[in-house]
Amino acid sequence: MLEVKELSKHFGGIKAVDNCSFVAEEGRITALIGPNGAGKTTAFNCISRTMTPTSGEIWLDGERIDQFRPHQITARGLSRTFQISRNLADMTVLENIICQSKTRGWKDLLKPAMSPDEIDKAIGILDFLGITRIAHEDGSNLSYGQKKLMDLAALLMSDPKIILLDEPAGGVNPTLLDEIVNHIRRLNEQGLTVLIVEHNMDLIMQLSDKVVVMAQGKVIANGTPDEVQNNPDVLEAYLGGTSENTE
Amino acid sequence: MAELATDEILAARERYNQSIAIAVNKKRSLWFPYLVLALLLVLPALQLIGNFNYVIHLTLFTACYVVMASGWNILGGFTGYISLGHNVFFAIGGYFAGMIFARLDISTIIIAPLAGLVAAVIGYCIGLVTLRVRGPSFIISSLALVMIFRIVFENWEFIGGAAGLALPVNDLPVQWAKLPYYYAFIVMAAIAVWVSYKIKHSKFGLGLRAISKDEIKAESSGINTRLYKVLAFAVSAFFVGMAGAVWGEYLTYIRPNIFLIILISVNMVLMCVLGGKGTIAGPVIGAILIIAFNELFVATLGASEINVLATGLIMMLTLIFFPLGIVGTLAKHGKLPQFLNWD
Repeated sequence: MLEVKELSKHFGGIKAVDNCSFVAEEGRITALIGPNGAGKTTAFNCISRTMTPTSGEIWLDGERIDQFRPHQITARGLSRTFQISRNLADMTVLENIICQSKTRGWKDLLKPAMSPDEIDKAIGILDFLGITRIAHEDGSNLSYGQKKLMDLAALLMSDPKIILLDEPAGGVNPTLLDEIVNHIRRLNEQGLTVLIVEHNMDLIMQLSDKVVVMAQGKVIANGTPDEVQNNPDVLEAYLGGTSENTE
Repeated sequence: MAELATDEILAARERYNQSIAIAVNKKRSLWFPYLVLALLLVLPALQLIGNFNYVIHLTLFTACYVVMASGWNILGGFTGYISLGHNVFFAIGGYFAGMIFARLDISTIIIAPLAGLVAAVIGYCIGLVTLRVRGPSFIISSLALVMIFRIVFENWEFIGGAAGLALPVNDLPVQWAKLPYYYAFIVMAAIAVWVSYKIKHSKFGLGLRAISKDEIKAESSGINTRLYKVLAFAVSAFFVGMAGAVWGEYLTYIRPNIFLIILISVNMVLMCVLGGKGTIAGPVIGAILIIAFNELFVATLGASEINVLATGLIMMLTLIFFPLGIVGTLAKHGKLPQFLNWD
């Protein structure tokens, strides 16, 4: 599905992502983990083209996408969320979500901003996520957790084939965390491919089919959660080989 | 998500959609702008009972600024790119139509849409370059644009250079001489407001608003931000260019220092800021207020610097109490009188 080949991103002398290769298989949940500064978010940014990679190739469904602009990548079925939820202030949740609706190009410019079909679909998604009641709230008035859910709702509006979630559980309370995990799992069961960056190890181990571990810009391990957990390199990178705590 | 749609959810959606439709309709009133338009169209009848040339002039002048401010609002209000160089398009429209009028004797009122189109094409090309930066850098690039065009226009002998060009005066009796321009500006103002409304309620407008709030998010949502921004620039240049075209003939003179002075672009910005950036009624209210204040203080305080000071003070006070502009602030607090809600 999504294939990252020898991706590098350098900031001056710093190699934030250094020759990284990994694959997110179709219909699976792939997790990208690693200590702070490992280059996970940078890799994400390069995949969604929010940043321009220094070198490397990114393939989506047999099409090379690293030359496209972000909106073209979104149109090809790859949508992402941001680590710090970006939402559009002074616009209602509904408008926020419908912004991501898949109607692009010249002929769509003058269509009504929110067609009844789109409103239906958006409300359906909000129903699915259990947040229909906030549909008319201002995007900036939401709580942190609601913003995370709204991000997820907006993603779904664009009918993606693969979603990239950047720390969907960052800063949310345990109850909501369970909810988010459930949503991700249900979406995955419906055939959505997921690539996820996360620090919460419980979540990763519960959820993911495959884990890619990065450290200092490099992929150091790759496998099922169990394999990765027992990999000495990973323990070394994460824990410095001393602590017993997996956080 | 279709497989999730149980009957219950469908019913809930139906209720929701209805509540949305009702909420939107309740808040908006469109009869008021139509009423104002109708009154303005019959206003010149006053000339039959006396000399109201001054009233006609002021209304025309206000309508001219409504066209420009509404045009500016499409880029500055909806998209969030503050341009201080929109008078360049005012000049382009004015000179293009003025030159054709002077040489071929085709009225600028007929040429105006074409002049707007020329301004839009030039705006599109300029936008491709300057819209790559945002915030203060964009404002400075727009100021630079004014300087560049001022130098070009002042030194281009073909279009009269710094001395400008006199245009033929129409041969209508004084009483009716202003009317063609009056109607041209009223119609253009109505079109500008109508187009703003249409844009705001389209996918294009939604995309522009997303760009003004968070461009990176908008782009990653799948909005072609570059296309949207440049189109917004072109549309706003179109209206300013159209206003410039007729303005030149109305003044019977085109000269760089009529069009390419910072006051004109600042006025556009101030009107939008005072009335409410990004709203439909805002630029209209702003144009009316600023021109009314100007006239009032010129009449009462004389044409000295004091009237400028007084206008400035009024603006400051207004913006202290209405930080988002009059329409914007009232709407935010839910206190906007219904007749001003054209959104």
